[in-house]
This record gives sequence, C-alpha cells and structure tokens, in this order.
Amino acid sequence: MTTTIIWTIAILTILGVALAVVLYFVAEKFKVEEDPRIDQVEAVLPGANCGGCGQAGCRAFAQFCVESSPNLDKCFCPVGGNDGMQKVAAVLGVEVAAKEPQVAVVRCNGSCENRPRTNEYGGYQSCRVKAALYSGDTGCSFGCLGCGDCVAACQFGAISMDPETGLPVVDEEKCTACGACVKACPKNIIELRNKGRRNMRVFVSCVNKDKGAAARKACKAACIGCGKCVKACPFEAITVENNLAYIDFTKCKLCKKCVAECPTGAIHAVNFPVVKPKATEE
Amino acid sequence: MLKTFSIGGIHPNDSKISKDCAIEVLPVPSKVYISVAQHLGAPANPVVAVGDKVKAGQVIAEPAGFISAYVHSSVSGTVKSIGPRKDLAGNNMTHIEIEVEGDEWAEGIDLSDTLVTEIPEDNKAILDRIKMCGVVGLGGATFPAHVKLCPPPGKKADCLILNGAECEPYLTSDYRIMLERSKEIVVGAAIMKQVLGGCPAVIGIEENKPEAIKVMTEAVAQLQASAKGYDGISVMPLKKKYPQGGEKQLIDAVMKRQVKSMGLPIDVGAVVQNVATSLAVYEAVQKNMPLVTNVLTVTGDCLPMENQHNYKFRIGMPLSYIAEHAGGIPEEAAKIISGGPMMGKAIANMEATTVKGSSSLLYLTAEQTVRGVESACIRCGKCAEACPMGLEPFLLQKYARNEMMEELEENAVQDCIECGCCLYSCPANIPLLDIIRIAKGDVIRIIRGRGQR
Repeated sequence: MTTTIIWTIAILTILGVALAVVLYFVAEKFKVEEDPRIDQVEAVLPGANCGGCGQAGCRAFAQFCVESSPNLDKCFCPVGGNDGMQKVAAVLGVEVAAKEPQVAVVRCNGSCENRPRTNEYGGYQSCRVKAALYSGDTGCSFGCLGCGDCVAACQFGAISMDPETGLPVVDEEKCTACGACVKACPKNIIELRNKGRRNMRVFVSCVNKDKGAAARKACKAACIGCGKCVKACPFEAITVENNLAYIDFTKCKLCKKCVAECPTGAIHAVNFPVVKPKATEE
Repeated sequence: MLKTFSIGGIHPNDSKISKDCAIEVLPVPSKVYISVAQHLGAPANPVVAVGDKVKAGQVIAEPAGFISAYVHSSVSGTVKSIGPRKDLAGNNMTHIEIEVEGDEWAEGIDLSDTLVTEIPEDNKAILDRIKMCGVVGLGGATFPAHVKLCPPPGKKADCLILNGAECEPYLTSDYRIMLERSKEIVVGAAIMKQVLGGCPAVIGIEENKPEAIKVMTEAVAQLQASAKGYDGISVMPLKKKYPQGGEKQLIDAVMKRQVKSMGLPIDVGAVVQNVATSLAVYEAVQKNMPLVTNVLTVTGDCLPMENQHNYKFRIGMPLSYIAEHAGGIPEEAAKIISGGPMMGKAIANMEATTVKGSSSLLYLTAEQTVRGVESACIRCGKCAEACPMGLEPFLLQKYARNEMMEELEENAVQDCIECGCCLYSCPANIPLLDIIRIAKGDVIRIIRGRGQR
C-alpha cells in the first residue's frame, strides 16, 4: 500500500521534472521577442478599443506607434487627444506635434419644420436599410434619415436624437472625434471638423447637391449654391461645388460674414458669445 | 405530377384580379422623361442635345460599357432638357425630357401587325439587332439581353428557358401578353434558341394560368406545323409556388440542375429569359422595333374592377399620368408599389417615369402593408423552411446584426436572392430580409475585393 503511493509520487515527480526541462528549452527556442514598449504604450492609452485611430484596437495602435516611431505623424488617438499622444511620445522618447482637436458636426438642418415629409417609412428602423431602399421620407435625397445609426455607433454616448427636430445632436463634451458616426452615416452627413478657437465654429449645415430651386423646395434650410457666401468671405475659405457650399475649417477665421449673407440660413455659427442674436443650434 | 423547384418556397394568395383585362394602349402624354438608367449596369450616355428633333425609336443614349444598353426615344418631338430628375426611389438620375409633337417613327421600323415567322440566318446580325434595339431582360433585373445570349467561350447552352411563371401575386402583364401575343413570343424563343446554337427551348408556365398554357401550346403547335426552325420548343406547366420565376429556381424546376454558389445559369447550360423579353426580341429582330414599350398592370384589392387595367405604355411616361388615366389613386391605398408585392419597390415619388422594366402600379391598403411589432426569434425555423436557396435566415440576421462577416460568408449569405420568403413566413415579424440584404451587399463587396488583390 505505502509502496504504491511512494512509487506514484516518485514517478510523477520524475515526469514533472523531465517535462519541465523539455518545456524550458522549447520556450527558449521559440521565444517571441516582443517590444516591451508596446505594453507600456498600451498602458497609457484610453483602452476604449473604439477603432477611431484606424487600427483594430488599443493594442494594435500601441504596436503601430512603436513600429512607426520616431515619426508619430500618422498615429493619432482621437480619444486620448493631444494629451494622450504626449504620453505616448514620452514613453517612446520622441516628439509629437499637437493636432487641432476635432468634433463631429451634423451637417443637416432638415428638421420636421424645415423639411416636410413627403411619404412615410414603415420598414426596419435603420439608416443603412432605409438608404438602401430609397432616398428617404422627404423631398431631399441627401439629408438625415433620422433612424439613428450614428447614435448606435457612438461608444461614448455623445449623440442623441432630438425628438423635436428628428435630427441627431452631438454632445461636444463627450465627443472624442473617433469618427464611428462618420462611418455609420450612409448619407455622409457627419463630418469631423476642428473644434476651433474656444469651440467656435462656422459650417454649412447642409449636404444637398440639388440645384437651388429643387433644394429649396425640399427643405427651407437647404444650401442653394447661390455663392453669396463665397463673395462675402474675405479669406477664400468657402467653395461652391455641385450647388453646395463648403467652408474649409483650416482657412476660416470665424468672421461670420457668410452667416449674415446666407439667404436660407444654411450656414451655422455655434458657440459664439451671444452678442448678436444669431447663435443657433445646440 | 407537375414540376417545381426542390427546396423552400411559399404560397401567397394569387390575387390576379386584373387577369381578364385586355391590354389597352395608353395615349401619349404631352411630355415624357426618359431615364438613361433603365438597365442593370452603367447608365447610358445621352447622344442628343437640347433642342434636337427626335423621332420615336431613335437612339437618344448610347451604352457606357459592356453591361449597358441603348436607350431610344419613345415619342417624336423636341428635346427640352437633359438633367437630373428623381426616380421612383427619390434618387437623382439623368432624364431626357422630350416635348411630344405628333407621332412619327424613325425609318426602318415596321409598325404593322403582320406576324413574321421567317427567322434570319445570320446569328451575328440578330445579336447586333437585339443590342441596337436596347433589349433588356424584362423579368425584373433588366440585364442586357444580348449579353446573356452570348455564352462565354467554352460554355454551351443546353436549354433556353422562357419564364412565364409570373409567380408574383397581382401581376398579370406577362399573362396578358402570353394570351394576346403568343405567336410573337414563340418566334422570339425560336430566334434566341437559334442564336444559342439550336438548343431546346422550354416555356415554363405556372398551373394557375391554364389559359396561357393552352394558348401557348397551340401557338407552338401551329408554328411548328407551318414554318421551319420551331422544333424543340415546348410548353411546360409548373406547379404553383413562389419564387418560381427566380432564375435559379426555374432552372431547378425545369432542368433539375442546381446553379452553385455565386455561379451563373450558363455554368449549368441554362439561359433564362422572360416571355416579355422574348416578345421584345421578336419586335427587335423581325420588326426592327426598339424596346420603347412594355405592358404594365394597374391593380390592387382596393381598386374597383373597372379601374383595373393592363396597359401598353411607352417608356418615360410619369406614373402619376398613368394613375390618373386609370381612374385615380384609390383613397384606401396606403402604399403604391412598382413590381410585385413580394419583390417590388415602394414608390416614393409618383412623378417618376416608367422604364423598360416597369411591370405594375400596385395599390396596397394599410392593412396589407403595415408591419407587425417585432418580437424575439423563437427559432421555429419557418424562415429556413421557406428559403428557396436553402439558407437559414434566422441565423444570418443574427450574424448580420453583430457584423460577423466570416460566419455570414460561411453560411452563404451571398446566395440570397432577396425573394422575401423569410420575411413573409416569420411569425415574429423580424425584418429578416432588410437586415440580410445589407449584409449580403457587404459580403459580396468583400468577396469581389479579394479577387482583385
């Protein structure tokens, strides 16, 4: 009886030691050299795994940063922002240029009031499904479909639908500019724009490329491509292409001349101090 | 025992209310708007300018690629404008606006009713004529007909199948042309059969159209007795089941052959053409008549019997004009559909105009169209039973909602033919097809992208 136990223990011990030795040499032989900096970089990232950087997740982004260092120009974590990137740069011991912080901007003002409904959609409530079927329940085939794919795509709870207007509203505090909503919107309405000085921004809140009369008929607040804003802009920041104005946020100096000039009110200025009664939205 | 396809399928109510309404010719409106995208593939390029005088049957747009088709003017008059106009889904598409003046047809078009049974011998000339006349498949997909009739090298057609199934409820346009233009359809079949190298031709018709089966069988017998080149054409009655008119389903029903995943009918030696396409081929080859007219059904349960119509229309007529001519839109109509109730598209814009493939104006009531509240999947498997492609829609929609692309591909989402059987059979009102259709598009894009790398 005792001998059986002793033998068992002895054999198992010998087996364990022998296999441990084998495993040790195998592990040494097939050791994967991983840059320890990847772990360090990952530790300073936000860990949201949102994919806003263009990589599969935070780990992949950390690897990408380590691989592309010392030049971090192509690496940017929108969630961590400039502070986060400074931390990454510090870990890697390199310099990184600060990027202008951005925010998601909804470029449609086709509220129920501005844009009358021409038909009723009774299908599955998803913008992608709706867009694949037809142009939408209003006369405007470019505008917001209002099913909230962007709300579902946002991992930070920064977008919500306004029941009054039927349009999505971005919470600037929560928005990290990861771009998930930009990708989710089948109509390409949402754009990442520079946050601007003291959060002040001027943008064209319309993406309608129809000719003026057709655009106006579909929506009261549509850009009709008249080009008045182009003439008014002293900084050549505005271009009109395919009957649609676009303000280049890198050139815009926030003078708001275009806002006053726009006949349909398609150009929005947000977060300006309320001196003139023209601050709209949000 | 009548033949039908082997897996899945459903039996929606026939509702062929307008089947006894003879085809009437719609008068030409004062203006037509002809779309340059009336076919699958690249939109055609306009070749007329504003102010040009055009005759009916004249080419106004040329194909912009291999899979594309000629577009002809359906009326005579002056080109007023060329520019974007909303199609029935509300999306902008280039339309050519023509103000009608008289009704003068281009030279060389035979407008008489005489039946021409003698088939030209030169196959190349026939194909050329079909292409020049802008003939596209009129079964729904509007695929250019000449492309389908030229099998790629190394592949041979064993059988030409003419699709007279018309399995969609309500639609009666194919049924009416089978009754009224039966001989022309058979001549068209003989022409296509000759081009394909003399393979047999089978005209598949569902059993719920006994009149059509009788008339078509007689037409085949008469032509076989009186002229050459009509051997090997037969009529095959099929058991009624939706979606019999689906290309792959019809091949299965008639030939007992299955087209494999992502394959084409020609891989199993089949070429499928609709009976309306056959008529268009006849018109093109024997009469030099381009495809500018087609037959459309105006129907619906809420439409009084005297307002049910089968109209021969010209392309470019506004749908609102047709609706008005047919006695107006009934008040109970909550949804207007172009095409059948199963696969047709809801019309968002009644100012849109008819295209080559227009087949119906179908008025559905709120009761017929409003969807029930979605509830959880109970895994009853009704959708899997109904799917004619042997897929498992309940599984696919779950993968699709979670964007699991590998699993979607493994479970052959790309084989979905979007027939809507799953949606029709689901007791939990899950929008199966809506979700699967999007996933199918994504997966096909991934597969195609892979091939290019």
